[in-house]
Amino acid sequence: MTTEIIYSAVGEAIRTEAERVLADGTVAAVVGYTMARRKGSAQPVVLTKPEEANQLIFSAACVNNLAVYLTKAKKELPREGRIGIVVKSCDLKALVGLLGESQLKRDSLYIIGVPCVGVLGSTLQPSVELNAETVADKCRECDDRMPQGADFVPTVALPASPALEKKYAVEIARLEAMTPAERWSYWQEQFSKCIKCYACRQVCPFCFCEQCLCDRNKPQMVEGTPRPAGNLAWHLVRAMHLAGRCAGCAECERVCPMDIPLNLLNRKMSRELKELFHSEAGFEVREKGPLAEYNEQDDQSFIK
Amino acid sequence: MHHAKPKHEFEPKIIAFVCTWCTYAGADLAGTSRMQYPANVRLVKFPCTGRIDPVFILKAFQQGADGVLVSGCHPGDCHYMAGNFHARRRFAAFRKLLEFIGVDLQRLQFSWVSAAEAGKWVEVVTELTERVRAMGPMREFKDLALEEQWSGSLTTPELQEAYEAI
Ligand code: SF4
Ligand code: SF4
Repeated sequence: MTTEIIYSAVGEAIRTEAERVLADGTVAAVVGYTMARRKGSAQPVVLTKPEEANQLIFSAACVNNLAVYLTKAKKELPREGRIGIVVKSCDLKALVGLLGESQLKRDSLYIIGVPCVGVLGSTLQPSVELNAETVADKCRECDDRMPQGADFVPTVALPASPALEKKYAVEIARLEAMTPAERWSYWQEQFSKCIKCYACRQVCPFCFCEQCLCDRNKPQMVEGTPRPAGNLAWHLVRAMHLAGRCAGCAECERVCPMDIPLNLLNRKMSRELKELFHSEAGFEVREKGPLAEYNEQDDQSFIK
Repeated sequence: MHHAKPKHEFEPKIIAFVCTWCTYAGADLAGTSRMQYPANVRLVKFPCTGRIDPVFILKAFQQGADGVLVSGCHPGDCHYMAGNFHARRRFAAFRKLLEFIGVDLQRLQFSWVSAAEAGKWVEVVTELTERVRAMGPMREFKDLALEEQWSGSLTTPELQEAYEAI
């Protein structure tokens, strides 16, 4: 119940702030969430007029990472002026990553941060209560519920985070304890489900290349058909291209129609890169990600 | 004098991705110095280890390599100053990924071999070849690539037999 109270206060604050910044011309548009057709569900919306600001909401069904609307899906955005955007902490980390990669400019954004107690893992039943069962896996291991460095954050007091089982951490440990052959068959089973719909790529704020390596056919590095070899290659290339960049928003995993644990690979890589190169996605803009820079003293024990 | 070449049951295919400035020159030196090393290794020359994309390694395995070697200039000697430093990080990460999806890292070797180190080249190549030989053929990626070419399922004994014979 407290979740609803917190989120209705957050929603109220977002509406007031959005109206203010749209009215005084600080921003040309606000990207936020609004009510969708089904009761309790939410959908992204782009607003340009102050009187529309009352459409904005925030609830546990506001799962989308809106950062993707600033890079790839920006058709509906006005070309001029600052853009206001509603972000949870994980979404903010994606924004920060995009700033670091020079895809966005900080002074063209007006960031409205959401103090977050988690979102739903599935929006099939958008009005269920947010609890230990229904909360998204990524939220179970989130330590940054208060976004930092936003232009506006509603003042609400968040309850202490409940200690929930960290599903990704547990699953990574389980896989690491297996033999390589067992891991191979686990991942083959997962990857074989892939239908190459590329929803995971479409939704990821970091997959902004105009032409993806996986779509090229001269030379063709990754087979385009949803068949075993191409599926494995796609998943390895995806994991590799996001290593050191992924913000952990878990949007890829959420949208995957075949329930492939994509974020498991992301989390594993993020953990390894943190261990190797002491760099991870956060609220501070990194000029270069761990795989875009180097240190002469880097470990090379694996090289002869 | 020629050494008597031992006959082996299994000759592994080793693909070596090397940079043109150091390791390729090192391998060349091994050749012009008439040093002997296993003919199992096929060299693919790149301008720099920084140009070697992890996807090349995947492709090599899919197309039938049993082992892959990536080799370039020693740190500090890169013709382009920093290509090998970048490569070092990328491959450190890629190894972790391969390990996590269940690939045996014994089949993948990285090394620094300079233009003068013909002896080291021979050593690295021989060691990798013998190690992979002992491990036997790399089936995992090849099987996937083969499956990719089949449509339908391999349920009939005739098909299974034909498949086995490939
Ligand atoms: S890879 Fe997945 S979790 Fe990472 S930023 Fe992209 S959509 Fe989010
Ligand atoms: S969303 Fe899932 S099924 Fe679609 S391409 Fe990505 S991993 Fe494959």
